[in-house]
Amino acid sequence: MKRCLQAPIAACALALLSSAALAQNLTVAVFPKLDEAVKLALPVWQQRHPDIPVRLVTLGYADHHNRLATQLAGSTGAPDVVGIESTYLGRFKAAGVLENLAMTPYHANRLEAQFVHYAYTQATARNGAVYALPADVGPGTLFYRKDLFDKAGINEADLTGSWASLLDAGRKLKARSGLYLLANAHDMKNLYLRAAAEEGEGLYFDQAGRPLVESPRFVRAFELARTVRREGLDAKISPWTNEWAAMLRSGKIAAVGSGSWFAGQLSSWVAPDTAGKWRAAQLPAHRFAAWGGSFYAIPKRAANKALAWEFIQLLTTDPKTQLATMRAPALQALPALVTALRDPYVDTPMPFFGGQPARQLWRHAALATPASPLDRNDPVAEELVNAALDAVLFKDKDIRAALRDARTQIEQRIRR
Amino acid sequence: MRRARAGQLLALLWLAAAALLMLLPFWNLLVFSSHSSAEIFGLPPPADIGAQFPANLQALSATPFWQAMFNSAYVVLMSTLLCLAVSSMAGFALAVYRFRGQSVVLALAVLGMLLPPFMTVVPYFFWINQLGWLDQYRAVYMPAAVSGMGVLLMRQYICSAIPRCLLEIGRLDGCSEWRLYLQIVLPLCKPALATLGVVSFIAAWNSFLLPLVVLPSPEHYTVHVALRAMQSAAGGEWGVVMTGAMFAVLPTLAVLIIAARHWRSILSMTADAEN
Amino acid sequence: MTPRRLSPHGVAPYLFLAPFLLLFILFVAVPFAGSLWLAFRHGDAATGLAGLDYVGWHNFRFAGSDPLFWHSLGNTLMLTVMAGVPQHLLALGLSWAIYTRLGRASGWAGFVCMLPYVTSAIAIALVFMTLLSTEYGLINRWLALVGLGPVDWLHDELWVKVSIAALVCWRYAGWNTVLYLTALQALPASLLDAAAIDGATGWRRYWYVVLPQLRPMIVLASTLTLIGGCQLFDESFILAPDGGTSQSALTTSAYLYRLAFVNGDLGGATAMAWLLLVSTVTLIVAYQLLWGRGLWRRMA
Repeated sequence: MKRCLQAPIAACALALLSSAALAQNLTVAVFPKLDEAVKLALPVWQQRHPDIPVRLVTLGYADHHNRLATQLAGSTGAPDVVGIESTYLGRFKAAGVLENLAMTPYHANRLEAQFVHYAYTQATARNGAVYALPADVGPGTLFYRKDLFDKAGINEADLTGSWASLLDAGRKLKARSGLYLLANAHDMKNLYLRAAAEEGEGLYFDQAGRPLVESPRFVRAFELARTVRREGLDAKISPWTNEWAAMLRSGKIAAVGSGSWFAGQLSSWVAPDTAGKWRAAQLPAHRFAAWGGSFYAIPKRAANKALAWEFIQLLTTDPKTQLATMRAPALQALPALVTALRDPYVDTPMPFFGGQPARQLWRHAALATPASPLDRNDPVAEELVNAALDAVLFKDKDIRAALRDARTQIEQRIRR
Repeated sequence: MRRARAGQLLALLWLAAAALLMLLPFWNLLVFSSHSSAEIFGLPPPADIGAQFPANLQALSATPFWQAMFNSAYVVLMSTLLCLAVSSMAGFALAVYRFRGQSVVLALAVLGMLLPPFMTVVPYFFWINQLGWLDQYRAVYMPAAVSGMGVLLMRQYICSAIPRCLLEIGRLDGCSEWRLYLQIVLPLCKPALATLGVVSFIAAWNSFLLPLVVLPSPEHYTVHVALRAMQSAAGGEWGVVMTGAMFAVLPTLAVLIIAARHWRSILSMTADAEN
Repeated sequence: MTPRRLSPHGVAPYLFLAPFLLLFILFVAVPFAGSLWLAFRHGDAATGLAGLDYVGWHNFRFAGSDPLFWHSLGNTLMLTVMAGVPQHLLALGLSWAIYTRLGRASGWAGFVCMLPYVTSAIAIALVFMTLLSTEYGLINRWLALVGLGPVDWLHDELWVKVSIAALVCWRYAGWNTVLYLTALQALPASLLDAAAIDGATGWRRYWYVVLPQLRPMIVLASTLTLIGGCQLFDESFILAPDGGTSQSALTTSAYLYRLAFVNGDLGGATAMAWLLLVSTVTLIVAYQLLWGRGLWRRMA
C-alpha cells in the first residue's frame, strides 16, 4: 500500500529538486558585520545576474564557525561562499575542506600583488595553495584617550616610544589622575605577543607547528603583563563585558590595543559619546601586528563554484565594493585590496578621532605588518596561554614554569 | 496564638521573597525588551519599562523571527504528537503483555535518559547526512519523539490506572488488540498523555544544538537558533534580541498555565515514571 | 497488578513496540554507537568521516593525562555540590511553607516555581550577566545599600563558582519544590493529625514525622540533580563562556564542547564524554546503594 505511493512521491520530489537546481541561487554564509559587507555588493551582483539571487545565511560569530565545522563535511547544504575570521582560518585550511584557489580555473595566486601582504599570506599554505581571499584587514593599533593623557602631561611619543615608556605612561596616568592604562593585564600580553612576532613566525607556533610558548617573546609578554598587574595599571576587567564598555565610556580606561576594526565598535556602540576624544597610534616600539581580518573561501562541496568565485572576486578585488565596506558607517572595514587602500578616502579626517586621518596610519601599518602564519591549533594555545597567565597573575606562579607547563599541555592537546 | 501569627507572617514573607527572586529575571526580560541596546548597556542599566518596545518589535519583525516561531511550532507539534503516539504504544505493550525481551526494552528506555545529548550530536549529524535528511524538519522532530521517560510514564500509568478486567471484557466483545489500545486504553490515558505532552513540548521548544547543526537554512531556523543568530559577539541589537526572547518564552508559559490546574497529577506522574 | 502472559497475542506486543524501537535504534542507538566509534578516532569533524583515523586507545590515554579534563571534573563535582545542597534545602523549606500556608493557591505556587525551569538558557543569559555585573549590576547595588561589596561575581575564581551555583539553584530549586510538594500532598492526612495528637508540633513534627516520609522523593530528586550536575553546561557557558579565570568555571561538558567544536578534536572529546558517562553511572549507582533502598529493584 505504502509502496504504491512512494514512487509518485519520489517522482514529485525529484521534479521539485531539479526545478530548484535550475532556479540557481548562491548561498553565502557569514558572521555578523560581514553580512553588511555582502549586502553592499548585492546591487552589483543583481545587475550582473538578475536570475541568480544570493541567499545570505548569517549566524553569530562562534555559532557560525562551529557549525561550519560539521557543515563542510556534509554532502548537502554546504554554502557556496563562506566567510571565515582569521582566528578560525588556520583550522579550516588544515582540514582540507576548502577549495584550493591557486588551481585552474581560479588562479588566485595571480592576484597576490593586489592584496595586503600579511593577509594574503595568512590565506595561503606553504605549498602554494590559496584557500581564501582576504576581505578586510585589522592591523594592530593603540587607541588612546588624548584628553586624558594630555591632562596627565603625556604625549603620544611618550606613550608609544618603547614598551618601557608605555609602562611609564601608565604609571604617570595612575599617579596623576588615578586612571587605568589598560582594561586587563591580558591586553598587555596580547599587545606584546602580537607586536613582537617576526615575519614567518606564528603567534603561537612556528611554521612546522611546534609551539613557541617558551620563547623570549612569551617570557617578555608575561613579564610586562605581570608588571601591569602588580603596579595596578589595569582595571582587572574582562573585555566585552558591561563594565568594560562602561569604563571606556566614562574614561576610566585610557588605552586599548586592538585591530583597526575596533574603531567601528568603539564609535558605534561601545562609547559613541566619547567622539573626538580618542586618537589612534601605531603600536609601541614601532612594531606592526596582524590583529584579525575576514576572508572568503569556497567549500570543496559547494554546488556553484564558478558563481561563488565570481562573487568572491566581486567582494575582494573590486575596488568599488571594497571602498563601500570602508565607507559604511556601521562597518568601517579596512580594505585588504591595496588599490582601495590607496583611495583618497583613506586621507579623510575622522571626526571620532578628533579629525585625525587615522586610516592613513592603519594603511601604513597594514602594508608594513609582517606575515604571521596561522596555525590550526592557535585557539588551543591561546586558551592554555591565558590560563598560564592567570596562574602568574593570581597565584604568583613563576613565569618560566607557567610557560613550561603551558607548552607541555599544548603539546599534549595537539599531540600527533 | 500570637506566635502562630508571627510564624504565618514569616512563612508568607519567605514565600514572597522566593517568588520575587524567581520572577525577577522575567521582569528584567520585560524591561530590556523595552529599551535600546545603548540603554541596556548604559550606566546604570535600566530598571523600569522604557519606550523602545514598539521600535524593537518593528526591528524584530524585519528579521525572520516570526517565521522561526512558526517553524518551532511545527517541529514541536510534530515531535510532541509523535512522542505521544510512540510512547503510548510502547507503554501499552509493556504494561499489558508479558513477552521475551521486555526487560531489555525497559533497560533501553532508562539508558536513553542517561545519555548527555550533545555527546551524540556529531555522529548524529553524519548519520542524518547519510540519510539525506539534512535541512529537513524531520531530522529534528523524529529524534525528539524518542523519550525513555515517556515510555516509562505511559507504562506506569496504564499499569496502575486501567483495570485489567476492562481489557478482558473488550476482548470478549471481539475487540482487536489495536482497537483495545485505540478505543479503550488511550481515552483513559488522558492525564498521562497531557503530562507527557507538556514535558515533551517544553523540551522540544527549548532545544538548540540539534536544530542548529541539522537545519542550516535560515528559512528553517527554530526560534532559539534565530535568537542566537541575532546576537553577535558584540554590538548586537540587544533590545531586539530581548524582545524576541520574551516572545520565545511565551509559549512555554502558556503551556504551564494550561497545565497549572493539573499540577499535582502531572508531577506525581513524572516522579513515578522516573522511579 | 502484574501483566500476565497472553498467548493468543504473540506478535502484538512487538508490533506495538515497533515504532519506539525503530526510532530508538535510528536516533539513539546509531548515534550512540557512532560516538563509541569516534572515541577511537582522531581528526577534525570538518574533514568528514573519511578523514578520521583509527588511533586505538590513544584518546583515552590522552584524557587520563589531560590536567584540564581532571580539573573540569573537579569543577563539575564541586559545582554540583555547591548548587545541589542549598537547592534541596531551599526546596524542602519552600515546599513545606507552600503546603502548610498556601492551601488552594498551591497550584499557582507550582506555576511560579516551574517558570525558571522551563525558560531556555539563551533567553536569560543576558539578564543574568547584567544582574551580576560588578560595578553596575543590580545585585552589587543592593549589596552596596547594606554596605557590602562590590563582589566580582564573574571573574573571581571562587565567586564565579558561587554565581554559577546560584544560577543553577535559581533554575532548579522551583522544580524540586514542586517535586517535594507532590510528595507532601500524597502524605496521608491522618499522619499529621496523629502527630499533632502526640504533641509533635513545628520543627519536631517536620523532623520526626514528615521528613522520613519524604525520603524516597529526596533520593529521587537528588539523583536527578546528580545526573543534571554531571552534565552541567548551560549555566557555566552563560556566565563564563571562556571558562573563567584560570578555567575555574569550566565544567566537563563545557570543556568537551570546546574540544569538539572549537578545537576540532572530536575523538578526544568523545572519549572524555564516555569517561564522564561511566563515572556518572558509577556515581549514581553508588549513591543509590548508599541511600536508595531498592530503587533499582523497583525499576526492573
